[in-house]
Amino acid sequence: MDAILDNQLKVLRAMRNWSQAELADRLDVSRQAVNAIETGKYDPSLPLAFKLGRLFGLRIEEIFDDGHGGKDDGE
Amino acid sequence: MTVTEAKTMANDAKRPGAFGLIGWPVAIVMGSAMLLGGFAGYNQAAIDNGEGPLPVWAGPLAALAFAAFGLAFYLRRYAPMWRQWSPRKRRYWLTLAFCGAIGGVVGGWLVIDQPGERGLTEMLASGALSPGFAIGAALLWTAGLAVGMIFYHRTIDDHEERAWLWAGVAGWYAFIFPAPVWWVLHRAALAPPADVMLLFCLSLIVNAVVWMWLKFR
Repeated sequence: MDAILDNQLKVLRAMRNWSQAELADRLDVSRQAVNAIETGKYDPSLPLAFKLGRLFGLRIEEIFDDGHGGKDDGE
Repeated sequence: MTVTEAKTMANDAKRPGAFGLIGWPVAIVMGSAMLLGGFAGYNQAAIDNGEGPLPVWAGPLAALAFAAFGLAFYLRRYAPMWRQWSPRKRRYWLTLAFCGAIGGVVGGWLVIDQPGERGLTEMLASGALSPGFAIGAALLWTAGLAVGMIFYHRTIDDHEERAWLWAGVAGWYAFIFPAPVWWVLHRAALAPPADVMLLFCLSLIVNAVVWMWLKFR
């Protein structure tokens, strides 16, 4: 299984006062998918991550954190 | 908990459930099939008792009337919700309703096809089936599954696709671990002959449990 990324989805959603179902409708995915991402049980695909970025007007790394603080492993 | 979080959770709670959206059409189809079966059973019993049966068209008419009434109720209740959904979501639930309807038709047909008094186990597992039902059910299963799966895979989101793939792997493991074990034990006269339907059911149950766990946990 994949390593799970930390994310700001719940905070970003709450800031807009959206329910999980509303966010799911905006992303055209199921509510369970939003819940699974928020609770760290599932990492979205790259297309869905980009969709999230466009929806919130943020870069992907501003929503998701792989624990490296935006730095490459080589740095 | 902040006010925003509480409001967000309340919004989620107010949201109408989607189970009725697919549950009602399936219930309507199954109810119609059972009504049809009830009329057929009554007529058979009437003939067996030397009484006059009801007209042949009475059963289908009652089933059609029931289905029409149920459908009208369903459309009235769910049409606004249905219109708000995205095309992908509509296709997804239509696909599930289609698969449920196929299951309902096969199940209803199986009940109607049973001769006389027969227990549930005999009906589902060991009892003889009529050739007409066997051919019809086999065709419905094969064609229904093929069409349903094509639409299903084109409408599910990433999260469900992942659940489906892992559930498929788990179901496959639930088959490839016990099947050869059972087969070699049988060849050494240590076990009864391998039961393919039992292995199929085990695989299906494991598949369903893993899918539901990954989808709804």
